[in-house]
Amino acid sequence: MVQLKVNNIDCYYESTKIIENISLQTQTGQFVGILGPNGSGKTTLLKSISHILKPKMGTILLDDKDIYTLKANDVARQMAVVSQGSNVAFSFTAIDVVLMGRSPHLSRFAVESENDVAIAKKAMAYTGTLHLQDRLITELSGGERQRIIISRALAQEPQVLLLDEPTTFLDVANQLEIMDLLKQLCDNKKLLVVGVFHDFNLAARYCDSLILLKKGKIVATGSTDVLTSENIKTIFNIDTVVKQNSITKTPYIIPISINHEAPKRSLTIHIICGSGSGSSLMKQLFDDGYNVTAGVLNLLDTDQETASFLKIPITPEAPMSPISDVAHNDNLCAIKKADFVIVTSFPYGYGNIKNLDAALFAVKQGIPTFLLDDSPIELRDYTKGQAQEKMQALKNKGAVVVQDENALLSALNYLANKHVADKANSPQSITAVTDTLLEVSS
Amino acid sequence: MLKNIKSIIAKNQVSRKTKNWLLILIGLSILLTCSIILSISVGYLDIPFSNIIKVFLTNTPGINNFFHFPVSSTETALILQIRLPRALCAALVGAALSIAGAAYQGLFRNPMADPYTIGASSGAALGATSSVILGLGITIMGISTRPFFAFIGCLATVLGVYTISRVGNKVPVQTLLLSGIAVSILFGAIVNSYHTLFPEKFRQTAFWLMGSFSYTEWLDLWSALPFIIGGSIVIYMFARDLNLLSLGESEATHLGVDLEKMKKILLVATAFVTAAAVSIGGLIAFVGLIIPHLTRLIFSPDHRILMVSSALMGAIFLVLCDTLSRILIAPTELPVGVITAVCGGPFFLYLMRRKKKIDAS
Repeated sequence: MVQLKVNNIDCYYESTKIIENISLQTQTGQFVGILGPNGSGKTTLLKSISHILKPKMGTILLDDKDIYTLKANDVARQMAVVSQGSNVAFSFTAIDVVLMGRSPHLSRFAVESENDVAIAKKAMAYTGTLHLQDRLITELSGGERQRIIISRALAQEPQVLLLDEPTTFLDVANQLEIMDLLKQLCDNKKLLVVGVFHDFNLAARYCDSLILLKKGKIVATGSTDVLTSENIKTIFNIDTVVKQNSITKTPYIIPISINHEAPKRSLTIHIICGSGSGSSLMKQLFDDGYNVTAGVLNLLDTDQETASFLKIPITPEAPMSPISDVAHNDNLCAIKKADFVIVTSFPYGYGNIKNLDAALFAVKQGIPTFLLDDSPIELRDYTKGQAQEKMQALKNKGAVVVQDENALLSALNYLANKHVADKANSPQSITAVTDTLLEVSS
Repeated sequence: MLKNIKSIIAKNQVSRKTKNWLLILIGLSILLTCSIILSISVGYLDIPFSNIIKVFLTNTPGINNFFHFPVSSTETALILQIRLPRALCAALVGAALSIAGAAYQGLFRNPMADPYTIGASSGAALGATSSVILGLGITIMGISTRPFFAFIGCLATVLGVYTISRVGNKVPVQTLLLSGIAVSILFGAIVNSYHTLFPEKFRQTAFWLMGSFSYTEWLDLWSALPFIIGGSIVIYMFARDLNLLSLGESEATHLGVDLEKMKKILLVATAFVTAAAVSIGGLIAFVGLIIPHLTRLIFSPDHRILMVSSALMGAIFLVLCDTLSRILIAPTELPVGVITAVCGGPFFLYLMRRKKKIDAS
C-alpha cells in the first residue's frame, strides 16, 4: 500500500500565490476528487503533486519520501498523469503511444521487449482499446484517444494515477465509461486515483472522498457528504438542491438559479399540490416575488422538498399518512390568509382527498381559485369518483379552469399589476377574474 | 548498448518491430551504396561499374593484397580524388541535414521546422563566410576551422531565434518560422554586403552559398565528420525522449524526461550537425524538411528508427540530387541547392496547405 501525504503546501506562479496551506492524506485504493470553480487552483494542486510545480512551502510525500528529492524517472515509475486534452504531434499508432508508458522502466538505449509489449496490450485490453492498437492516434475519436492515453498511464504500472479533467471533452456515455474504468482501477487494481473534475454530480457518484477548493484554499474535505448546499454555495455561489440519488445512494445535486432580486409583492398565493405537481409553479411564483404558501403536503413529498428549498411555509403532514383533521384545519387557516388559491393537477386518493375540500372552502370564502387542469381528473382519481364529484362542485362554484401554467402565471401577473385582487372581493368578482383571464389568454 | 542488444537477443525477445527496423536499415544502406556508385559512374566522363569495383578493390587497404586490377590512372584519380569524396560529402551532408531536421521537428513538435526554416543554416553560413572574408578560415593540422565558425554562427542564431519566438513557456510555430525567416534575410543581407565590400573573395563563397559540392575534397569530409558523428550520437541518445515529447511537453515530463536539459543539449548538438553540414555544402534548402517528413510517412514516426532512416534517406536523396546537378546541363554544373529547392519548395507548400486544411476542419 502506498500513501500520499500533502503537507501544508503553498504554490506560486512567478510571484502570485495560487494555492495556500493545502494538506491531504490518502492511500492506494482511494478515488479522490478535487472540485472547485475555474481558477481555484485545482490544476495547480495536481501539477504540484505530479512533480511539475515545486511548492514553495510544505512537502509532498509518496510513501514518506519527498517526491521533489526523487528523479523524474523514479516518480514516473510510481505515478502516472493524464493531462487535459493533450494532442499527439505525430501519427504514432495507438500501441506505440501506449508503449511510451514503458519508457520510465527502460534504460536509455533499450528497445521495448516482448514483455513490455505484453504489458501495453494488457493495459489496452483493460481499457477496451486492444482492437485499436494499429490505428493512428491522430485518427481516433476523443473518447478512444482518452482511453489510449489512460492505457499509456496504466502501462507505466503506477500506484498513483492523477487525472486533470479526464472527462471534459467527452459525451455522456464516454464520461460514464471512463469514470467506471477509474473506479475499477481503485477497487480491483488498488490504485490511488486523484482527479480534478468539473462535474460535481459525476464526482459525487464515483469518488470516495472529495476536496473542495476555492481561491486556492480548502473549503471542505472528506466523504461525499461534504457536498452540501451550503458548501456548494460557498464555492460556486450557486443555489442547489442536494438530493440522494436513490439508485446509487450518492448525493445528487441540482443547480437552480433563484432570482434573489425579485421585487416583493404583497400578494399571497396558496398552492394545493403534491407529488411534484406544484414544484415548478412554486419556484416561478417565488421568483416573481409573491408570498407563496402550500399545503397540505406530506413530508418527503417532492413538492415538500421544493418548498423547504425555497423556504416556503407549508402545512405539513407526516410521511405516507392521510391528512389528519389537525393538518386540514391548519391548511384552512393558511387559505384564509391567501389572496389566490391554485390547485395543481395531481392524483387523489383517500389520503389526500381532503385537499379538495380545502379548495372548496377557498371558493366558498370567495378567494379566487384556479384549477390547473393539464390531465383529465378521471385519470387521477383513485377514490371511486369522489374526487371527480368534488372537482365538478369546484367548477360549479366558480373556480377558474386554466389549461397550462404559463397562461396562469401571465394572468396572475396581470391581475396583480392591476390590483384587482382584494380580500373583500365577492364571488361576482370571480366572474370578473374569469373575464379578464379570457381576455388575457385570447 | 551492445550489451543490451545481446541480452535482448539472448532472451529471444527481439520484437517484430526491431526486425522491421533492421530490414529498413539494410535496404536503405544497399540503396545508398548503389546511389553512390551511380554518382561516381556518371558525369562528364562515364566510368563503367566494373572499373569502379576494380579501383575500390585495388585501393582498399587489406583487400588490395589479394586483388590487383589495372585501371587507367586518370580514372583512378577521378574516382578516388574527385567523385568519391564528393559523393561521400553529399551523403554526409544529406544525412546531417535530415538528422538535424528530424531533431528540430521533434523538439518543436512541428513538421515545418528544419535547419533552414528556423535560420540555423543561415547562421552557420554567416559564421563560415565571416571566417573566410576576415581571413580566419585557416587549416590547422589538415583540419579546416570553417566548421567551427559555422558552429558559432549557427548556435548563436538558434538560441537567438528560440529566445525571440518564445512566448511565455511556449514556442509557437508561426513566430518561430517568422523569426527564422527574418534572421535568414538579415544574414543574407550581411553576406551580400561582404560580397560588395570584398569582391575578390566573392568567387570563393558565392557558389558555395548557393549550395554546391563542386569544390569538395577529402579535407572537407574529415573536417566535418567528427562534428556530425558526435552530434548525431548525442541526438540519437534522446530519440526515445523525442517520442515522449510528441505526446506533449508536460506528458514528457510526467514520463521522466528532463525537458529543459534535453532542449539545451539538443539545440547544441543540432547546431554542431547543421554547422558541419553547411560548412561543406553551403545552403542546401529543404532536405532537412522533406526527408524526415517523408520518412515518417513511409516508415514510422518513432524517432529511434526515424533518425537513422532519415539519415540514410537524406544521404541517398542528396547524392542523387548532386548527380543530377552535374549531368543536367553538363558540362556546366547547377548548384545542388537549386535542385533541392525545386523539389522541396512545392513540397513545403503542399505541407502548408494540408496543415491549413487540418486546422480548418
